Amino acid sequence: MSNKRSYKCEKVIERLHKKVSRQILGSLEACVHCGMCTDQCHYVLANPGDVSYMPSYKADKLRKLFKAHIDWTGKKFPWWVSARSLYTDDELEELKDTVFGKCTNCRRCSINCPMGVDMATFNRMARGLLVSVGVMPQGVAVVAKDQWEIGNQMGVLKEDFLDTLQWMQEELQSEYDDPSIKIPIDKMDCDVVYSINPREAKYDPRTIADAAKIFHFAGENWTMASEGWDMTNFGLFNGDDELGGAVARRCYEATENLRGKKLVISECGHGYRSTRCEGQNWGQKDVNFKMESSVISMLRYIKEGKIKVDKTKNPEPVTFHDSCNNARSCGLTEEPRELLNMVCMDFREMYPNRAENFCCTGGGGAMSMSEYTPRRLKSAIIKANQLKETGAKTVVTSCHNCVDGLSDLIRHYKLDMKVTQLVNLVANALVVPEKRKAAAEVATLVGYKILLADDEADTLAFFSTVLEDNGATVILARDGDEALALARKEKPNLITLDLSMPGKDGGEVFEILRKDPELSAIKVCIITGKPELRRLIYDRPVTPPEGYLNKPVANEELILNMHKILGVAHDGKKK
Amino acid sequence: MGQILLAGKNFDVDEDGFLQNPEQWDEAVAKDFAPTEGITEMTEEHWKVVRYIRDYYLKFGVAPMIRKLCKETDCNLKRIYELFPSGPAKGACKIAGLPKPTGCV
Repeated sequence: MSNKRSYKCEKVIERLHKKVSRQILGSLEACVHCGMCTDQCHYVLANPGDVSYMPSYKADKLRKLFKAHIDWTGKKFPWWVSARSLYTDDELEELKDTVFGKCTNCRRCSINCPMGVDMATFNRMARGLLVSVGVMPQGVAVVAKDQWEIGNQMGVLKEDFLDTLQWMQEELQSEYDDPSIKIPIDKMDCDVVYSINPREAKYDPRTIADAAKIFHFAGENWTMASEGWDMTNFGLFNGDDELGGAVARRCYEATENLRGKKLVISECGHGYRSTRCEGQNWGQKDVNFKMESSVISMLRYIKEGKIKVDKTKNPEPVTFHDSCNNARSCGLTEEPRELLNMVCMDFREMYPNRAENFCCTGGGGAMSMSEYTPRRLKSAIIKANQLKETGAKTVVTSCHNCVDGLSDLIRHYKLDMKVTQLVNLVANALVVPEKRKAAAEVATLVGYKILLADDEADTLAFFSTVLEDNGATVILARDGDEALALARKEKPNLITLDLSMPGKDGGEVFEILRKDPELSAIKVCIITGKPELRRLIYDRPVTPPEGYLNKPVANEELILNMHKILGVAHDGKKK
Repeated sequence: MGQILLAGKNFDVDEDGFLQNPEQWDEAVAKDFAPTEGITEMTEEHWKVVRYIRDYYLKFGVAPMIRKLCKETDCNLKRIYELFPSGPAKGACKIAGLPKPTGCV
């Protein structure tokens, strides 16, 4: 045996020392070769007799290396503990074939190991070591590059992203004939900042529209960020903690910059795990907001009566596929079922399920590694049988990766099933309230005094007509100084404030109002044609305004927002 | 890597069935690809979408965003999915002779 080692092998071994954490050390030491893991792996079950798929066999490939370089037993009697180092680039390629091509890091063997050996964790470590010397499937390299350089895994450019959101907004507005339905972008101080998988923007934005519909009818104060909106993270798949940290930080910072109170993560298993559970460690960053899966948000809207659903709209039998990352790694198992039972007539369990469910076979980044597709599809027979036995016509999953993995295998095994996500079913079951035309017919603003400050005569005329038709008493100011004088004199309930006005601009007026004890209780709604000036308001050291609208503002939108700010219900009663 | 017989010729395809050498594509290839993606007949509407994807790919080296595709071909989202049951990423891009799109698809 030659003892000459390739440059790449040198580097892998050098870096191995840094990668072995206590968790990995425990996993490397603890295996007693009992074989309990063998039957847990879908690759093994679909390839009986092929030892190269056995979790313990795959683990031993790494264990040999660990024994050779770190563990004392390997130094004293390497022949006895099968210690073996890496020497050639071919050996690295062989290792790549195992850690990328024969394991989806699904963790089913991990949770079934009596010794607590977390196979998936050190498989991920091995991927990281290989990636650090450039040994990885090409698909993984491309996606990681896009995430590093463009900021999302599909290279979606900012203008295209914003254009897509705008498009979905228009579709929703025309579907409901309601211009007040918005997909807000970069709105400050929201209760929810919604993050998504780039796949939604690039190929199938129906899930964005469905989520927006649900947020809108739930009356949520929400926004999306124009940057840092990708919550997926290829760092989880390629084992590169630096990439993982950079991507997660970008997502956290977007929420921080918008001073969002909660980061809601759309239905994506690895994205949820990376962003909610792992990213803070990788990125070495604490966050001061909450994070939750959109599944939990939707469930809460129904429980709190914010949205109403009619399950008869989803009558066909459905089953649920637990994503590995959601169920096994994050414990998100009961909420999706509770939600399914609320929005579907006929929900059927798949067996095994929850943390014991089998992988869709597309996990761990497998969907981006075409070279292993035949293996993936062969091992998918396990999943196909599971699906078939439910008798359901639709399989629901809370993971985009699973959507694609399942679609592929359904096609391959000709199962005649549809794949969908919870957000689609909830949106489909949504009972949309009668159009709020009542607002225009009932004088809902009687008794309220509203001061309108704007230097455009047309705007003043339009707003005052709409508000007076609804019974409000309206006072008009054409510049900042006049607005302040009238505010002191008339003490209105609410002031609408344009940002660019002669004399004192809207920002200055706003700060003076807030700092004056006699005026600070007056509610303020900023209405501007220059959304880029938003910072002028939100950066001031005072309580943010109660409302914020971008011009042009439609009739109904104006009334709706006045109601919201003043706490008036749409039928004119006080909330 | 495998091979597929389309329009009387053999083509190299990746393991997901996408053309390895996109420049070998022509309309006869697209026609033969169509049934593998659940399309019985390529209509003028199909062609409009496929040609747009093809041109965009040749110009920019990537598949277009679904937004652009819908805008430029006057097809709404629902119609795209009716035309290409396996979706724009897998179905339409494959027929247009693009390599497999990258990422979670």
